[in-house]
Amino acid sequence: MNWVSKDIEVYLGAKEYVDTAVLPLLPVSFGPDMKQAVSMTEFITLLSIQLERQFKGRLLMLPGYTYLKQNSEDKLIEEINNWYSELVQQGFKHIFYVTSDSDWRTREAKFDGNVIWLPSLPLENLDSNSRNTILEDQVKQLLNLFVQKWKEN
Amino acid sequence: MSKQRVTRRQFLNYTLTGVGGFMAAGMLMPMVRFAVDPVLKHDAAGDFVVTGMKIADITNEPTRVDFSFEQKDGWYTSEVTNQAWVFKDENGEILALSPVCKHLGCTVAWNTDDANPDHFFCPCHNGLYTKDGTNVPGTPPSAPLDVYPYKDSDGFLALGKAEPRKEA
Repeated sequence: MNWVSKDIEVYLGAKEYVDTAVLPLLPVSFGPDMKQAVSMTEFITLLSIQLERQFKGRLLMLPGYTYLKQNSEDKLIEEINNWYSELVQQGFKHIFYVTSDSDWRTREAKFDGNVIWLPSLPLENLDSNSRNTILEDQVKQLLNLFVQKWKEN
Repeated sequence: MSKQRVTRRQFLNYTLTGVGGFMAAGMLMPMVRFAVDPVLKHDAAGDFVVTGMKIADITNEPTRVDFSFEQKDGWYTSEVTNQAWVFKDENGEILALSPVCKHLGCTVAWNTDDANPDHFFCPCHNGLYTKDGTNVPGTPPSAPLDVYPYKDSDGFLALGKAEPRKEA
C-alpha cells in the first residue's frame, strides 16, 4: 500500500494483514557526489513502485526518508531508530529499509530493522521497456527475501 | 419596396423576435449540450490495448503477458504496465486473468508455490486460485480473479479493462 488516502483507507480496515513497513532511504547531496545521490534516489524510487505493486496487500510503502548525506552518522542512526520504534509501536512486525547508499551497510549493526541494499543502476539511459525488465528482476530477487523473512515467524 | 409597406410596429416586432430567438438559443444550447453529454461521452472502458502476444501462440499453460498504456493522472501522464495471465481453457477458449489478488491487491503468479502446483499463488497471505481463476475456499481471497475482455487485433491479442466476475 502506498501513502495515499485510498490505500490508507484499505489499510485501516485490514491492519492485521499488513505487518510489513518499507522505508526507502533517499540521500540528498550537493557536493561532488550529487549525481550519484540523484541516481540512487531515482533508482530506489522506481524500485519501490514495483515492490509496492508486487506486495500491495502486505506492506505499507512509506514516503521515502530523505536525508542530507553530510549529516553525521549518529544523527542519521538516531533518526532511523526513531522510525523503527514508532513503526514497531504501530504493530509492524517486519521493517525494511531499501536504499542504494552503501553507507547504510556499514551502519547496519547500529540500528534495528533490515537494510536491503541494492546497487543503483543507471536507468536513465534505458528505454522504459528494458528499464521495467531490470526493475522486475530486482524485485523478483527481493520477493524471495521478503517471503523468507515472513516465513521466519 | 412595393406597395406593401412594412410598418414601424411590424419592423420592430420582427427584429425583436429575431434577437430574442438568438438569445433564447444561446441560453438553451449549452443546457441541452450538458443534458446529452453523458450519452456522447467516449467510453474509456472500451479501449483495447494490443499486446505482443500472438493469438496463435497461446497455449494451455498460463503465460504472462505484459502490456503498457498511457495513464493520465491529473496533468501527469505516465506509462503503466499491466500484466495478464493468458491461456486456453479446456474448451479452447482464451482466458486472460488479471494478476491482482482479490484479497488486498498483491500480484499473484502461476505455479510459484511448491506445495500447490498448478495454482495461482499470492505470496502475501498465501491466497490460492485454481487455473480458471476461481479462489480456493479457506484461503484469504473471497472472489475469483478479474478477467480481461479480449479481442483479436490482426492476430495479436488485445486486452480491455479487467472486469470482476460474479460466479463462485
